[in-house]
Amino acid sequence: MLRVDVSTRVGALDLDVALTVDAGECLALAGPSGAGKTTILRVAAGLLRPARGLVEADGETWLDTERGIDMPPERRRCGYVFQDYALFPHLSAWQNVAYPLRGVPRRERRARAQELLERFGLGGHAEARPRTLSGGERQRVALARMLARSPGVLLLDEPLSALDARTRASASHELGAVLNDVRVPALLVTHDFAEAAQLGDRVGVIDAGRIVQEGTPTELAAAPRSAFVADFTGAVVLTGTARSGRAGLTLVDLDGGGEIASTDAGLGRVAASVFPWEIAIEPVADEPHGSAQNRVLAEVRTVTAVGNRVRLGLAGPQPLAAEITLASARALDLQTGSRVAATWKAAATRLVAL
Amino acid sequence: MRILALALVLVALVAAGCGDDDDDSGESSAGEGGQEQRLIVSAAASMTEALEACAPDFGDAEETEVRLSFAGSDELAAQIRQGVKPDVFAAANTALPDELHDEDLVEQPVEFATNEFVLAVPADSDIEAVDDLTESGIKIAIGSESVPIGSYTRELLAKLRPAQGEAILDNVRSNEPDVKGIVGKVSQGAADAGFVYVTDVNATDGALKAIELPAAVEPEITYAAAVVKGAKNPRDAQAFVDGLTNGPCAQALADAGFGSVQR
Amino acid sequence: MRRAAASRRIPWFPVLLAVCLTATLLFLTLPVVAIFVDRSPVELIDSLGEPGALDALWLSLRTTAISIAVILAIGTPAAYLLATRSFRGRALVITLIELPLVLPPAVAGIALLAAVGPAGILGGTIDALGIELSLTTAGVVVALTFVASPFYVRQAVAAFAAVDERLLDASRTLGASEARGFLRVMIPTALPGLAAGTALALGRALGEFGATLMFAGSFQGITQTVPLAIYDRFSTNFESALALSAVLVAVSGALLLSVKLVAGAEAMGGWDAADTRAAR
Repeated sequence: MLRVDVSTRVGALDLDVALTVDAGECLALAGPSGAGKTTILRVAAGLLRPARGLVEADGETWLDTERGIDMPPERRRCGYVFQDYALFPHLSAWQNVAYPLRGVPRRERRARAQELLERFGLGGHAEARPRTLSGGERQRVALARMLARSPGVLLLDEPLSALDARTRASASHELGAVLNDVRVPALLVTHDFAEAAQLGDRVGVIDAGRIVQEGTPTELAAAPRSAFVADFTGAVVLTGTARSGRAGLTLVDLDGGGEIASTDAGLGRVAASVFPWEIAIEPVADEPHGSAQNRVLAEVRTVTAVGNRVRLGLAGPQPLAAEITLASARALDLQTGSRVAATWKAAATRLVAL
Repeated sequence: MRILALALVLVALVAAGCGDDDDDSGESSAGEGGQEQRLIVSAAASMTEALEACAPDFGDAEETEVRLSFAGSDELAAQIRQGVKPDVFAAANTALPDELHDEDLVEQPVEFATNEFVLAVPADSDIEAVDDLTESGIKIAIGSESVPIGSYTRELLAKLRPAQGEAILDNVRSNEPDVKGIVGKVSQGAADAGFVYVTDVNATDGALKAIELPAAVEPEITYAAAVVKGAKNPRDAQAFVDGLTNGPCAQALADAGFGSVQR
Repeated sequence: MRRAAASRRIPWFPVLLAVCLTATLLFLTLPVVAIFVDRSPVELIDSLGEPGALDALWLSLRTTAISIAVILAIGTPAAYLLATRSFRGRALVITLIELPLVLPPAVAGIALLAAVGPAGILGGTIDALGIELSLTTAGVVVALTFVASPFYVRQAVAAFAAVDERLLDASRTLGASEARGFLRVMIPTALPGLAAGTALALGRALGEFGATLMFAGSFQGITQTVPLAIYDRFSTNFESALALSAVLVAVSGALLLSVKLVAGAEAMGGWDAADTRAAR
């Protein structure tokens, strides 16, 4: 279990957070830049000493300002993946991976490094220098290097943001697999809520040094506690299987039933996303009208007023969140249990390969 | 525009460099048609204080700007051999000017002063005679072989009893390229003693004291000067050389402790 | 309507550039080349055989090697501290360390005499410790170290500061202590800059004249380094001075070349911003 409790001032930022992550769980902190995300990671890793803080991990106390305990980073068994991966440029891939392997005879170090690289499909690149590798390959070397240390805690700083869109999908998949394999607490920070939603079991939205809301991605999208959270937790993500359809559209058979269309190309397992404010709500009985092509029947679970908007948490074949005006909500007389149709355009539906 | 400005700056620097030359009067741009004349004098380092005192007076009298360059006489001679042309060459011996005259590089040299060769020690030193230099642990600074002060020193040591001369040579710790270096080492306390000219000791204003050497071994030191052939300013050069025996510079030399030449 | 004459104009700008480059090249290389062609190689090698010349060469190499070793051993950690920590007065410390860079050698000589010369501030203490500096080889090493270290330290500070500090963070999170990170990450990554600094310091030390003469004197085999030997000889034995100069040029050239090779090889294997963009 990882517990981080920190209160400190960094520059103009006043940071005050407390969080816990269980073994095998991934807590994703999502927030805008400057919110303090990286600072939390650095405190957990021991790279920054806060004014007041407590870090417990791996069965040990790593930091306790009150008792004067501050374990140096090299003694904390944490795996840290930096935003640009921080691979050592003067070492080859396998030498990078073998760096944390101290006290191990050279031949064994190379073998262990090779093994880890192969696990990430980089066996053939063992001798390559980082600068000759692509972004995705570098990310994998960084992961392999982190795992070589058999860490008790994983700390990931924007692990996907350095990658281009195309690589991001497969890298995300891989990272998810790693997080599943390594049954240790993982703390991940990102500025992209979708990334947080995809990789995190729980998501914490952080803004100006405070965690403003924490919960599953769906809970956050469905019942945001503030306009900031509402704006920040963007898309609704639905999973399904895509196939090509008529008129150049892609049809997606949603898990749990239902079919939607998207103007994006896609085939096979996909995540379809749409922003809540692009979803219109209609009574079920109404005939489908307007140019919206996607229509999913759902039951209202939560109604949350956020300023002059209303966020609806819907239970359909998969959880959905829609955002409509206060006026529309009143006109529809929505309450928990109301059955409605959620409609949105195929053009507003984004597909990402899973 | 910027390139043009840069080019102008470069040209200006080059021109300044050409016109601002102490020893090489090759491409001098000054001294043409009515402008102030210049006189370039290469002189032995031992004459530094004396000539620096009298040169302005000479310059005012002759309406000439005097540029002085001091170094070991051998270095100055070597420069002249390499084609450098000061107007006047004043050396701490007669050998170098005579050599240059034989090589047709200077006019007939004129002897203008004598100097006394002494042993210099710090004012509070226990050393009283040349013989004290044979003690082990004494550190001595002398001139290098090629500079007059160095050759005079070796001349002196050769005249001593062999054992004495050798013992003193064993104690030598530095062969300085000019007399001022020797004075510096003794003044700083790096060397316990050094062989220099009495005029150099005088110039230290009491920091060093001079120990006279036995007359039998005292080398004869005669300074000679000559006008350099091909000098840019032969008229003033001749006047300067003449003035070394009869004029403000002669007086300055005498004040510094130089002797006059026995004609 | 474009001026028809435009295409006929002399391209004065490129011509000016070429002229400047040619002038610079000639000015810098002619004196060096002249050293080698003024006399025949046979004459030069013969005059090298004369005892003082070899002594001077050996002395120069020895003293330069020792002073560079001292500079590297002490200057490298010092530069690391300056580059990676901020503290009050840091700017002042850096300026003080750089000061000898702009001191003329003669001033450096005076400074050394005033500080550690026999009549200097620490002169008494040094004497009491039984150490002799003036007129000794040790004194030469002191002079060389004084004038050459700023060249190295300055480059080293810049080199260390340019290393991405996240590499050091990564090293620590991977279990390496700060000292180990310094040796295994910082130094290899900063190596091109360190090599460049070493080359500059080497060149400066090999060529040092004024401060050495004033502080340590000139005595064959003890304090007469090659530059001093050249100065001693040039009026009486020009061949010997030429030969020594030629050797110094050759040695300096060889050192500069090998340092470039070390730095170049590292630069080729190192992380390059342009390559990062290209790889994306």
